[in-house]
Amino acid sequence: MSTLVLDNGACFAKIGYSHEKVSVIPNCQFRSKTSRLKTFTANQLDEIKDPSGLFFILPFQKGYLVNWDVQRKVWDHLFGKDMFKVDFADTNIVITEPYFNFSSIQDTMNEILFEEYQFQSALRINAGSLSAHRYFHENNSELCCIVVDSGFSFTHIVPYCRGRKMKEGICRINVGGKLLSNHLKEIISYRQLHVMDETYVINQVKEDVCYVSQNFYKDMEIAQLKGEDNTVMRDYVLPDFSSIKKGFCKPREEMNFTGKYKTGEQILRLTNERFAVPEMLFHPSDIGIQEMGIPEALVNSINNMPEEMQPHFYKNIVLTGGNTLFPGFRDRVYKEVRALAPVEYQVSVVLPQNPICYPWEGGKLLAENPDFEEMVVTREDYEENGHYVCEEKFDI
Amino acid sequence: MAEKKTTGNLRSQDPNQRRVLDSMTRHRRLTRQLEALEKDNFQDDPHASLPQLVKRLPQFDESNESGNESSKRRKKTRGDHFKQRFRKNFQALLEEEDLSVSEGPNYLIACAEPSKFPQRHFCAVCGFPSNYTCVSCGARYCCVRCLGTHHETRCLKWTV
Repeated sequence: MSTLVLDNGACFAKIGYSHEKVSVIPNCQFRSKTSRLKTFTANQLDEIKDPSGLFFILPFQKGYLVNWDVQRKVWDHLFGKDMFKVDFADTNIVITEPYFNFSSIQDTMNEILFEEYQFQSALRINAGSLSAHRYFHENNSELCCIVVDSGFSFTHIVPYCRGRKMKEGICRINVGGKLLSNHLKEIISYRQLHVMDETYVINQVKEDVCYVSQNFYKDMEIAQLKGEDNTVMRDYVLPDFSSIKKGFCKPREEMNFTGKYKTGEQILRLTNERFAVPEMLFHPSDIGIQEMGIPEALVNSINNMPEEMQPHFYKNIVLTGGNTLFPGFRDRVYKEVRALAPVEYQVSVVLPQNPICYPWEGGKLLAENPDFEEMVVTREDYEENGHYVCEEKFDI
Repeated sequence: MAEKKTTGNLRSQDPNQRRVLDSMTRHRRLTRQLEALEKDNFQDDPHASLPQLVKRLPQFDESNESGNESSKRRKKTRGDHFKQRFRKNFQALLEEEDLSVSEGPNYLIACAEPSKFPQRHFCAVCGFPSNYTCVSCGARYCCVRCLGTHHETRCLKWTV
């Protein structure tokens, strides 16, 4: 009886058996201009020779699973003989959902898991709950923690107390990795080179070159200097998929500050975009989204909690999700929360070793938990009682 | 020809003939821009213009070992059923949820409130902090050079 843990994210699906390692696989389909007949699913991305102008088909819209056709195709590929070779009758599945998932989507997920794939039993849970489980497993003495899950579609801030999420404190900021990449595409297209079609390439640029600045206005001043004094400026070499397969950032020694480069490579010169783009996580109002940034929303969320619990929340802030991988993210969050929190409380912000797979690791621990059998809904249970039993047992 | 060019340049800056957008239009423009940021792809589907491919033959080596006939048949009908039922987009699903009648925290309430801090403004052309606003369309700029670029490229283009 094995357990498959699947953290079903909008960008990547983190999947693996609970006794094996996790694999991070894109959770979408791709189409390319060059290979006209084939639609590539999930990790078949590696087979594409020319990822320029790559067309994405995502099953998620605004963070919620809307397009079941695509999702089922991806799952068919993942559960099939090329990947995990799942034996459905003998497998439990732990699968994650976004917060406040719509009941129609939950019902459809039940139907698909039990009636189409016919898993032996299933557990639907929020990704943040798995992160909290993992955190409490490591820090046994702590009672409360607050999880910041900053992913592709949005960012959620969720307080947990004794393993249960506190619904009144959940805060959602509609800024995620997708918004950051699209914004970067727009500003590069306006200022330098038309890249609006190149989602895959610019995503790579964002991950390689962007960072979170500790002192925003000072970095802005440095970025305006000319020549060698401008330590912020970087040149990024774009891939042309024939000689240069993957884009990279030119090291400072090779940079040519005056005049043009002799070689025929396409270069992007990035100055303030490097830190202005991740700044949107901290100040969404910079582009006009009237919402609080992450540190403010954290403090706001904690203030909605009962007073006795507040110091415990400040001491246990956990950062998860892909956006936390920007260099300087953790220090910036600490600095801003420390400035906004009351003086007598101790503030501690934790960034795990692997923030993307942290919920998956929580799922792995949960599968090995002795209480696991009581938390899942078996197929027989579902066939007898229908959606009602899932609504009761799962706390989404 | 030269006269036409100069009058064209001057016209955009002549106070009597400059078109000024009102706040509603500016707001609509901003909403449009933000919605554009939510898109997955900016290009069209490369397969869209291809003729419909012939339906693929069923693959007999699929793992249907568990299948008795009924489950296989049920799988097929379920597939079409899904295609028709679940083509809804996000907005339709949200309205279906009908969250105004439910109590307690829900998707709409969980959204973050506007920030207490004042909004910072950045030049629409170069991205550095800006101090000035374009009179016609409300975009920010930092220096006269950026204002020139803005007038030539984006000002009042694609107005709603």
